[in-house]
Amino acid sequence: MSANSPATPSAQDPDVAAAPFMPARTGSIAISLLRITLGVIILATWWDNLQDELYTGDGLSGLIDWLFTPSAEGGNGSTLSLYERLLDTVVVPNAGVFAIGQLIIEGLFGLGLLVGASTRAASIGAMVFFSSLFLAYYGGDEWIWTYVLLFVASLTVFLGWGGRTLGVDRFVANARGESPRSLFW
Amino acid sequence: MNFGPKIQTRLRSLAPTPVASLWSIAIARIVIGVLWLFSLRWKLPPDFDGGSERSLRQWLQLEVEHPTFAPYGRFVETVIQPNFTLFAWLLFFCELVVGISLLLGLFTRGGALLGFGLSLNLGIGLANVPGEWPWAYVMLAMWHGVFFATGAGRAFGIDGRLRGNVLNTPLRLLT
Repeated sequence: MSANSPATPSAQDPDVAAAPFMPARTGSIAISLLRITLGVIILATWWDNLQDELYTGDGLSGLIDWLFTPSAEGGNGSTLSLYERLLDTVVVPNAGVFAIGQLIIEGLFGLGLLVGASTRAASIGAMVFFSSLFLAYYGGDEWIWTYVLLFVASLTVFLGWGGRTLGVDRFVANARGESPRSLFW
Repeated sequence: MNFGPKIQTRLRSLAPTPVASLWSIAIARIVIGVLWLFSLRWKLPPDFDGGSERSLRQWLQLEVEHPTFAPYGRFVETVIQPNFTLFAWLLFFCELVVGISLLLGLFTRGGALLGFGLSLNLGIGLANVPGEWPWAYVMLAMWHGVFFATGAGRAFGIDGRLRGNVLNTPLRLLT
């Protein structure tokens, strides 16, 4: 199916551009800028974490331990004990594998969002990632709304087809048509 | 099934298309409106005390102790802290206005502009405070820029209805 067929309207389709309530192009550009910001934030944090050796078995185990240590003892004081048990039983015993997985996946999310490549898949991944962080940090000293802001940004990029403007996805969609179930670009 | 033109238009705006629809931004607008209103709970008048949480007074002290820019820290110390009650009321009122504006989609561009200023102020004031993550304020400011640019109150908001009535007045700039 061509990206420009009536069933899959493209950004240039005047019918789609005439969507009510908003200047469609302004919305698309705004969401793309949101996507780029999100990509920069994820990559900058990824780089910081890399420097701090958090993407190692010991680094990840240490982080999980710090998260659920009470504030009075120098930890974050997160309170979701169910999530703590899940991390302790699943992630901590396999921390080395999870750390490498996180190193690769987080980097790919960031890169995908920054350049707008496979944006829909990257934004789904980012939503899962930020949900996990929300649960991990919940109840602690950190400002929990940070993860709400990031989750909502990822959701908006997904719903708004954030890679179709100022992104690689635009060229991929034009060349290859829609991705399966529109889940990638 | 045959819907009226108004419903067809509305359904069309909800359909997934490769062009961004304002409703996805409107969801974020509502969530961030709740964020501002929720944040009022630790700066409630008349004493602006945070209860079990860190209070506004304590946050200002942290801004003085860990300034991102020295002149900003001095400004907080010499102007804001000595006139705490005045500035606390001002901040409370501004955050309340932004929260209500974004939640209801009422004069959203005005609320977004004010929210952008508040986000920048938070970012500048807190970026150097230990334990703070400055990117959170970058994202918060970015969101308000998006709301302003798109006039995000026109979907799921009062601005959508209001705009026709204020079209010939200066108030239209705020919707």
